[in-house]
Amino acid sequence: MSEGLDYKFLVETFFVALSGVPTALFITIVALLVALPLGFLLALTRINQFPVLDRVAQIYVSFVRGTPVIIQIFIIYSSVPLLLASIFEKYNIEMNVYDVNPIWYAFIVFSLNTTAILIEVFRSAISTVSKGQLEAAYSVGLTNVQAFRRIIIPQTLVVALPNICTATVNLIKATSLGYALSLQEITLRAKVAANVGYNYVEAYIDIFLVYLILCSLVEYLFKLYEKRLSRYRAVGI
Amino acid sequence: MMLEITNIHKSFGENEILKGVDLKIEKGDVVVILGPSGSGKTTLLRCINFLEKADQGHAIFGDIDVNLKTASKKAIHGIRQKIAFVFQNYNLFNNKTALENVTEGLVIGRKIAKAEANEIGKKALDKVGLSEKYNAYPIELSGGQQQRVGIARAVALNPDIILFDEPTSALDPELVGEVLTVMKQIAKEGTTMLVVTHEMSFAKDVANRVIFMDAGVVVEEGSPKDIFVKPKEERTRKFLKRVLPEDYIFYI
Repeated sequence: MSEGLDYKFLVETFFVALSGVPTALFITIVALLVALPLGFLLALTRINQFPVLDRVAQIYVSFVRGTPVIIQIFIIYSSVPLLLASIFEKYNIEMNVYDVNPIWYAFIVFSLNTTAILIEVFRSAISTVSKGQLEAAYSVGLTNVQAFRRIIIPQTLVVALPNICTATVNLIKATSLGYALSLQEITLRAKVAANVGYNYVEAYIDIFLVYLILCSLVEYLFKLYEKRLSRYRAVGI
Repeated sequence: MMLEITNIHKSFGENEILKGVDLKIEKGDVVVILGPSGSGKTTLLRCINFLEKADQGHAIFGDIDVNLKTASKKAIHGIRQKIAFVFQNYNLFNNKTALENVTEGLVIGRKIAKAEANEIGKKALDKVGLSEKYNAYPIELSGGQQQRVGIARAVALNPDIILFDEPTSALDPELVGEVLTVMKQIAKEGTTMLVVTHEMSFAKDVANRVIFMDAGVVVEEGSPKDIFVKPKEERTRKFLKRVLPEDYIFYI
């Protein structure tokens, strides 16, 4: 205990933790692919006060935002297998629910979670683009879809991008909770390596560094993209 | 008859804004609608272009004959292809350059090849005196320049009629002139125009017909001379007295 940090272990475990990055990124990307379009569409229902869907989205957001992610994971992880088991039984599907790769539960939880966050992000971003531009688009003969694709969404994205970046970084960090699903991601891998010789401090430093590097990199990429997208805003200001 | 609107009604909640307005416009007409604020002028324009859905009313537009309340998406799209709109607040696409603003409707709405659309767009911008500003974003332009891009965007579509909704009301006074000059020029070229404005000089000098609206109905209409020099209705006289300087004398 008195010899301080085990540097050899520190370096080795850094790479063990690093090997969990693909899993963390995979979950992040799947969650974003689901949440970006879904969040945008549900934000539209909120803005246009679309009957029923609007209320459903509102309740959904408060449920997700008002509960810890770890509890959402536990709920999905314990309830979905039961649900699946009854479905499998009903349709005579020969499959053991406990063979399902736990990464699917991570996909579900993090997609649901990020969708709720992005609904609110897009809701405020869309309302910054004046309704007049949409009317102008109609008046020059654009359809609804064309107007959104060419005029509204590009401007919404620029406004929303800093918040999407925050949501993405939070999402990457939250994938560390995947250890509760025994997912082979960054945190779990380093912790398992530490179990052998009780080198927890080294392992935690490694985990810390891997998330820090990963998140900084993601933030940097978002900054670059934001700069590219917002050319039309940068010039005059 | 190019555009004929009959019996158009529109309410917002309890408030009836249009109470059965009729409107006829011939090719080449420059029609100015005058009236106090809240009289329904802007709503009338917006209903013609389906930016608001009328509660009742009928429109004949060239070969298209529609009920304004129940018009199909296709009919609306067809009518919008024939009408261009210039907005009070310009409503330029902020993420597009001046030239892209003008060509957007041509390339995306009308499927014209990009090179050809750029030619048309540049010509339209030249016409409004913005040859130097093809690649400027709206944020880099003054209000007057933005509105001139708005007019170029309308002109480039080569529409049957251009609707102007108080095109100078949001401008600083010293910028009003440049926009009116452009409007006079395109009127002179024979463009059919329906203009809601508070610029009496434009109505007097450019319009061939003036419509006075108040409280959701057309009170009277006629040539600028009819309306400004010898208005028949008391309401028109009161309005003109309010908006025109006391020593204002008309030479027509």
